[in-house]
Amino acid sequence: MTDFPPPPTSAPPAAATLPPPVIGAAAPPASFAPPTGPPPLAGPAPALPDLTGMIAVNGVSKFFGSVVAVSEVRFAIDGGVTALLGPNGAGKSTLFRMMCGLTPTSRGTVRVLGADPRLDRDVRGRIALVPQQDALFDHLDAYSMVLIAAQTHGLDDAGAIARWALEQVDLTDVGDKPVGKFSKGMRQRVKVACALVNDPDVLILDEPLTGLDPVQRRRMIALFHRLGDAGRCVLVSSHVLDEVARLGSRVLVIAQGRLIATGDYRDLRALMDDRPLRIRLAVSDPRRMAAALIERNLVTAVSVAADRLTLDTLDADALGRTVAPLAIELGVHLTEVSPLDDDLESVFRYLVEGR
Amino acid sequence: MTPPTVHPTGRRPQQTVPDVRAIALAYRVVIRQLTSVGRIVALSLLALVSTVAGFALGTADADLDAAVRLISGLGFAVIIPVVALVFGGAAIGDLREDKTLVYLWLRPVNRWPLVVGAYLAALTLSAPITLIPVVAAAILTGADGGIVPATLLAGVVALVAYNAIFTMLGVWLRRFIVWGLAYILIWEGFIALGGAGVARFAIRKYTRSILVDRTGVDLDLADFSLTIGIVVPVLAAIVALALGSWRLARQDVD
Repeated sequence: MTDFPPPPTSAPPAAATLPPPVIGAAAPPASFAPPTGPPPLAGPAPALPDLTGMIAVNGVSKFFGSVVAVSEVRFAIDGGVTALLGPNGAGKSTLFRMMCGLTPTSRGTVRVLGADPRLDRDVRGRIALVPQQDALFDHLDAYSMVLIAAQTHGLDDAGAIARWALEQVDLTDVGDKPVGKFSKGMRQRVKVACALVNDPDVLILDEPLTGLDPVQRRRMIALFHRLGDAGRCVLVSSHVLDEVARLGSRVLVIAQGRLIATGDYRDLRALMDDRPLRIRLAVSDPRRMAAALIERNLVTAVSVAADRLTLDTLDADALGRTVAPLAIELGVHLTEVSPLDDDLESVFRYLVEGR
Repeated sequence: MTPPTVHPTGRRPQQTVPDVRAIALAYRVVIRQLTSVGRIVALSLLALVSTVAGFALGTADADLDAAVRLISGLGFAVIIPVVALVFGGAAIGDLREDKTLVYLWLRPVNRWPLVVGAYLAALTLSAPITLIPVVAAAILTGADGGIVPATLLAGVVALVAYNAIFTMLGVWLRRFIVWGLAYILIWEGFIALGGAGVARFAIRKYTRSILVDRTGVDLDLADFSLTIGIVVPVLAAIVALALGSWRLARQDVD
């Protein structure tokens, strides 16, 4: 294997001062705040004014024994759709559980509609959660499941509301088949229907698009947007980058339990697009191809192994436009072009660690 | 066509669920969760062991003393507590384990009606599965001297207490079956027999006292009056449900 000395890579985005991350009608631009080591375990944190909003999370941490699941998270959200983006294990579900009062915070406060959801019985009637876990009353049919959800919210016309909620998720024609025999996607839709029954002011959805086919994903995202447009605070988590692009322009990015970016998705995307991308090419003459790409200043690093080329580039679009015509021009066979680090984890690695 | 997103009620739903309605809802949900054919058949077969033993004793012309010892030693020491453990522990415990508790927990309801509804569901299922075979066993022994009404009364008291204790255990502990069996077999079956002081903390002492009071048979560690034999287990049930409700309000829910 031959390694060409890599040119200096671009520096990771500089840490900006985190403005008060209130996300709502007038959202601030994306900001980036890399974590600065483990959270302090002792000593008073600098006093910051409490944020307010439909959901207000102020200096929240959650420890499970010695494991820090969520660390010093602080943001506020108002009406509309907001995406919570983070890789698996980032702390999204723990944060959601605290917002719903399902688990207490170890530090800091969570206020939903101005109340503590763990203690305030009334506010629980105005929150809805679509949990990540695939849990339903499996022996019930979809209507009975949603009916129970409506009845446990104390709704008078629970039957009509259950039918309406099932209509929202396109589950009106499933008969009396138990939900235990539903596909993963149908079960997700039942969970969403259960969450709609109380016309919640705050709707928290933990990976709600998992298992849905593309058509249902599109419909579900449209539903979230309609609810957001109606003034509901809709917070949706995902670990799939492209999904977040369609969910909404407002994002919270969490990694390793810390909030690392907040604001507009497009700004975040631009920030991410600035990072070097690693791409693999399979070509019949990799050395010749590598030399041509370096000559055209399209790559920042190249390594050659057998018939494979691994490239680092800062301009994936230009490389994509060039590589096929270049292969024709050089008379080499190009059999594969594949990104190696387009997954969310690599994006976070770049944002957090600058590599 | 996209269905309207506007909620059909056109208004905010009421904000809390009345306690009686919450009890009924929890009861309905839990009783359906607990009702599995395999569980009911297995526990019914276990309970039928007492009936067979009672029949065998009856064919051997055993006296009242032997009959009461059989009912106390098998029906009240094993069958009723074990069946109550399976249903009572699972009443909330299964919801927590399969992560469906959130559908009852994240609601505008008080916690105690959820526990009481789950408890009543466990009681509803465990009562026929245990009382019918155990009372049948008392009948089939052929013994006179009030053994049948005594068995029925002590059985009801035992079910009320054990189901509440094990419902509480299901709220508090993930391995409720292990701890419940430890309570039944080690505490009540062994340690509590060691002395009157310790036996006060065993439901079995009170059910034995009821049997003794109503039949006149002499059993060890069964010296409470009928009133105490009934009242203390009922109070224990109330305390257990209160502790279960307290814990449910404070526990982590997945």
